[in-house]
Amino acid sequence: MKESKLREMSRRALSSNLLGLFVVLILMCVVFTILKPGFLTGKNLLNILTAASLSGLIAIGESYLIIAGQIDLSPGAIAAFAGVFSALLAQRGMPILLIILITVAVGALFGAVSAFQVNALKIQPFIATLAVMSIARGLAYIICAGKPVFISHNTYIKIGITRILGIPLPVIILVVMFLVWGVALSKTRFGRNVYAVGGNPAAARLAGINADAVKRGLFILSSCLASLGGIILASRMNTGQPGAASDVDFDAITASVLGGIAMTGGTGSLSGTFLGVLILQGFNNGLLLLNVSTFWQDVARGLLMMFALTFDFYRKQRREG
Amino acid sequence: MKHTLEFREICKSFAGVRVLDRVSFSVEGGEVLALVGENGAGKSTLLKILNGDYQQTSGSYLLDGQERHFSSPQEAIAAGIGLIYQERQMFPDLSVAENIFVGNLPIRGGRVDFPALNRMARELIAEFGLPLRPGDKVRDLSVAMQQMVEIMKAYSRRPKVLAFDEPTACLSDKEAQVLFTLIDRLREKGLIVIYVSHRMNEIFRLASKIVVLKDGEFIAEHRAADTDENRLVSEMVGRPVGGMFSGLVRAEPSGEEILRVRGLTGRGFADVGFSLRRGEILGFFGLVGAGRTEVMLALFGAVPAEAGEIELRGKPCRIRRTRDAIDQKIAYCPEDRKQQGILPLRPVRDNISVVVLRGLCRGPFISSRRENAFARDYVEEFRIKTSSIEKPIYQLSGGNQQKALLARWLSAKPEILILDEPTKGIDVGAKAEIYRMICDVAAQGVAVILVSSELPEIIGLSDRIVVMRNQRVAGELDGRTATEEQVLRYAMLDNREGTT
Repeated sequence: MKESKLREMSRRALSSNLLGLFVVLILMCVVFTILKPGFLTGKNLLNILTAASLSGLIAIGESYLIIAGQIDLSPGAIAAFAGVFSALLAQRGMPILLIILITVAVGALFGAVSAFQVNALKIQPFIATLAVMSIARGLAYIICAGKPVFISHNTYIKIGITRILGIPLPVIILVVMFLVWGVALSKTRFGRNVYAVGGNPAAARLAGINADAVKRGLFILSSCLASLGGIILASRMNTGQPGAASDVDFDAITASVLGGIAMTGGTGSLSGTFLGVLILQGFNNGLLLLNVSTFWQDVARGLLMMFALTFDFYRKQRREG
Repeated sequence: MKHTLEFREICKSFAGVRVLDRVSFSVEGGEVLALVGENGAGKSTLLKILNGDYQQTSGSYLLDGQERHFSSPQEAIAAGIGLIYQERQMFPDLSVAENIFVGNLPIRGGRVDFPALNRMARELIAEFGLPLRPGDKVRDLSVAMQQMVEIMKAYSRRPKVLAFDEPTACLSDKEAQVLFTLIDRLREKGLIVIYVSHRMNEIFRLASKIVVLKDGEFIAEHRAADTDENRLVSEMVGRPVGGMFSGLVRAEPSGEEILRVRGLTGRGFADVGFSLRRGEILGFFGLVGAGRTEVMLALFGAVPAEAGEIELRGKPCRIRRTRDAIDQKIAYCPEDRKQQGILPLRPVRDNISVVVLRGLCRGPFISSRRENAFARDYVEEFRIKTSSIEKPIYQLSGGNQQKALLARWLSAKPEILILDEPTKGIDVGAKAEIYRMICDVAAQGVAVILVSSELPEIIGLSDRIVVMRNQRVAGELDGRTATEEQVLRYAMLDNREGTT
């Protein structure tokens, strides 16, 4: 009984590619450690996770949306807006909880706009969220008149630097969010509906699922997570920067696809995405340690995205073959 | 010299299954040959052989007395075969002229010679006497005029044979008249016209020769002048009833009325009315495009009805979305398993539990233990062949996918079960199991609506049969006494009584 359960688990790990991702992760660690012995230290690992706190949060929403057959290009811009917006609230000396609440609520409006375009106007999510991206980025510059907003709010700054048992708070938030939303995806009816809507929208509708409501919820979820990420980023930098987080959407999508979320929707898991985030950030961090120029880092990230998409293609081939 | 087309003993098999069996006919220039037969009689397969999409397994295909073998539609077009498909294949944002001559645009100096193109188009339009201009955008034309453009496109390639597959399916009566005039003109020009349609009055309006097919077999060839509608319909039906239905025990349904529909009207159906009792199997028959599926989708809340009343358990009822229907204990198992039924990448378990998931939750979480036990029970009860409930459903055979979908809907404990073509594309063994399942369900008091295009299935299972034609209810028959011929008469003929 126990043995068969073990076999079942290993079979599942294999079929969901988690094992393959582990191998890639370990291989990457080995290569970078040989090139730069400082790579595999506890301190550097926490650096990697802290650096992943924004793109990781965004990857959660992105994964949900891609599973549901959608995509979101706006979270980076929403995060920048949320950073500036919350910094402005902080200047007024608001309590931190209220700042977070108001910022996330305002951020959610962007998601609602994306959902409206997709559901009511039947616009492709790619274009709809591209429009929202431009609006959010523009508003981020407008509300601060183009100048970064310095943060002197005591509790606000603490978000980025507090450590619990030596672990930075942003890392804890990231891990907790992955756990909560990972469980929501695999263990609740809401999660099942997400898979159904992405896998076969017509069938989902005929099975009584309100596909529009599911999509609306997901666009809002994505923008809320982006807002939260934007607050954390602003706190770590002590400023709300309107130009911040310009390439996190790219990172979040790459991490999702790398982690086995099919671009065609309907399949994948957040544990895969988490490993995808680790691989991507580890890769970025390794290149940084090796002093590779930022221009070449861009090229390398593009190649990683291509690698992830090729992976996705072959997984699809195997499913259909 | 007149063109001639002859098919001699044409046979076609797919993986050993014979779908066309020794079909022979000949036709010459200036004649219109009509192919008739019910759904699945082999008309479409025959057209596909004609235009090189399929190749016959045996038999000869002679054009102008010469034996031909086309390995692709391109070769057939080059040899003078034109086929007008049911769905128009046009470039909506290009002009009429560009659509007619697409692929053969006149070129001068490396660029399209638009003056020449428009002149050629104008000549062709004048030849057919149509109210079109070469520069009109195809998107702005009526469906009928788009079809005319399609015909001119085929005609511009100087064909010897022009074949039409159900060309009036999307046309109004008036538009159809324009088409008929055009076909008359094609005939006068000495073309061979092959015409496939379900509509008897059209066939007698146009055809000089009629070939009847049934289950892929050649039944008869008539001169149109020597036969009539009744005779054709009798020839299309009359097969031995399969033993599949003889073993099924059906009690007289005695339950009270659960559903009454009056004047239901919407996209693709008008003024539909019928009633349904508990424990009854109500067959819905009609030819493709008759509007059956549309009625069911409206009843299930998937597409809105524009008018009409639905009375459920004696009370008026409004169903706005599918969830309302499910809450009212209505289940709809759709026609297109792949597009509308399965969640392909999800496990068999998730596919079965999706409708009743609410009941398998503890708090906000799905109870894996309960859900697995639930899915295993249904896999066993419905004899779904799968190595595990974790297996993605797309890996199962069509019959087992269908059984899983039936399990999905029956697990919701419906009081009204709508089955749309439940045995389409599945093997004989699974078919028999599904028939038994339908009878069991009805015996338990569930009211079943069986939408099917298969006459033996409709007659073998139904207590009553509603026949739809042309988006309306054409008649209602007693399932115990109805014959295939009667049902088909209602489905095809214009006289409402449909009796001899």
